[in-house]
Amino acid sequence: MKKILSLLLLVIFTSSSCEKDDICDANTPTTPRLVIDFYNISNASVKKNVNNLKVIGEGMTEGIVFNSGASGEAQYLTNGSSISIPLKTDSNSTKYSFILNSGNSNPTLIDTDEVTFNYTKEDVFVSRACGFKTLFTFVPNNPIIHTAVPITKGKWMQVISVEKSNIANENETHIKVFF
Amino acid sequence: MRHTLKYFFSFCFLIVQFLTQAQETTATKTTSEKKKSEGKIPEAPKQATAKLDTIVPVKKDSIVPVKKDRYGLRVGVDLYRLTRGLYDKNYKGIELVGDYRLTKNYYVAAELGSEDKTTEDDRLNTTTKGTYLKVGFDYNGYENWLDMENIISIGLRAGISTFSQELNSYKIYNAHPYWGEMPSKDSGETFSGLTAGWIEVVAGVKVKVYNNIFVGFSLRMNTLIYDKKPSENFENLYIPGFNRTYAGNFGAGFNYTVTYFIPLYKKTVKPKKGK
Repeated sequence: MKKILSLLLLVIFTSSSCEKDDICDANTPTTPRLVIDFYNISNASVKKNVNNLKVIGEGMTEGIVFNSGASGEAQYLTNGSSISIPLKTDSNSTKYSFILNSGNSNPTLIDTDEVTFNYTKEDVFVSRACGFKTLFTFVPNNPIIHTAVPITKGKWMQVISVEKSNIANENETHIKVFF
Repeated sequence: MRHTLKYFFSFCFLIVQFLTQAQETTATKTTSEKKKSEGKIPEAPKQATAKLDTIVPVKKDSIVPVKKDRYGLRVGVDLYRLTRGLYDKNYKGIELVGDYRLTKNYYVAAELGSEDKTTEDDRLNTTTKGTYLKVGFDYNGYENWLDMENIISIGLRAGISTFSQELNSYKIYNAHPYWGEMPSKDSGETFSGLTAGWIEVVAGVKVKVYNNIFVGFSLRMNTLIYDKKPSENFENLYIPGFNRTYAGNFGAGFNYTVTYFIPLYKKTVKPKKGK
């Protein structure tokens, strides 16, 4: 009987694996950002780098930090071909200003487009430490409202296409912008 | 090692010394008695009886007294759960405990309880209500002296619980809080009809403090065997009886009990052979 007991103890203690679950692991997929890739309008299969793009949310004074290593204005600028921007988790639409050639000394080169993303959202449980995350789905009608600033000027984003209407993770491209 | 050996031997010599001395004194005594009795012949039988009297009690001591173990039912309550409601506004609970002595060392043991607990995590606030039952056995590994009835035990329990869980409020985790950290959202969603089962390893102590009243303390390590999840979208954060759940299937608990022993019958202890 004592042997059985010790065996049981052994089984129970080895099978119980302790895992730390008080801190939300940074690798856990939580609320995803909207992933936008930029493509060449004249060659739709080739990615194109933007030039000093700054993205500011409506009502915000500071842009989204793309370059956390830099200081000052440079941290808000990106020259890559892909960006990830957070959507509002407490509203069904988010409006951003996309400013191309931001900070350029020649004001005529600075090009601003405003894009509103319309979506529905769903809160999904992640874990005790992370709480919930919000997943987004673009509405079928008018998921994107796109205007130039000022409205008379031509839009620098020539085509915006929704690639994925479900925004569930950041591993895929949700929006393609051709310019 | 060498020193202990040395001391051991010197201790042995010391004992041997006493032994020899003891024999000497009795020897001298008997010789002196003999010398005395030489003069007084009629008194000799009286002395003999006196001698017998002195020997008899020694013989009585060497006989093992009949030791009887009491068998019966022990019932009580967990003071920790009972009193926690006084200082923790998020907790209400009670646990009744009981055990029945089957053999010299084995006890059938059970706990029956009810809990109502609100868990306040950083991002989640949930309320769990439910009842639980744990059934199993304790093995008393403590060899009591004389009529002591203390218990140092190790045991196993199988536990089941039926409960409901209400999500009071939650926070959205956003690794990129550009739009600011959002406040908690109220939910109020209730998941009822939940069940869970687990195995507990119990290490416990019970001490007789007064007549048939015992106080005890036990530590429990739990392994969750199964649990019915509230939905695909949620999980059980607290299970009555099992306590807080972790990412694995591990759990832990304890109780602090006061119990009353109801003796039902007595059994003579058989002396152990080969000792």
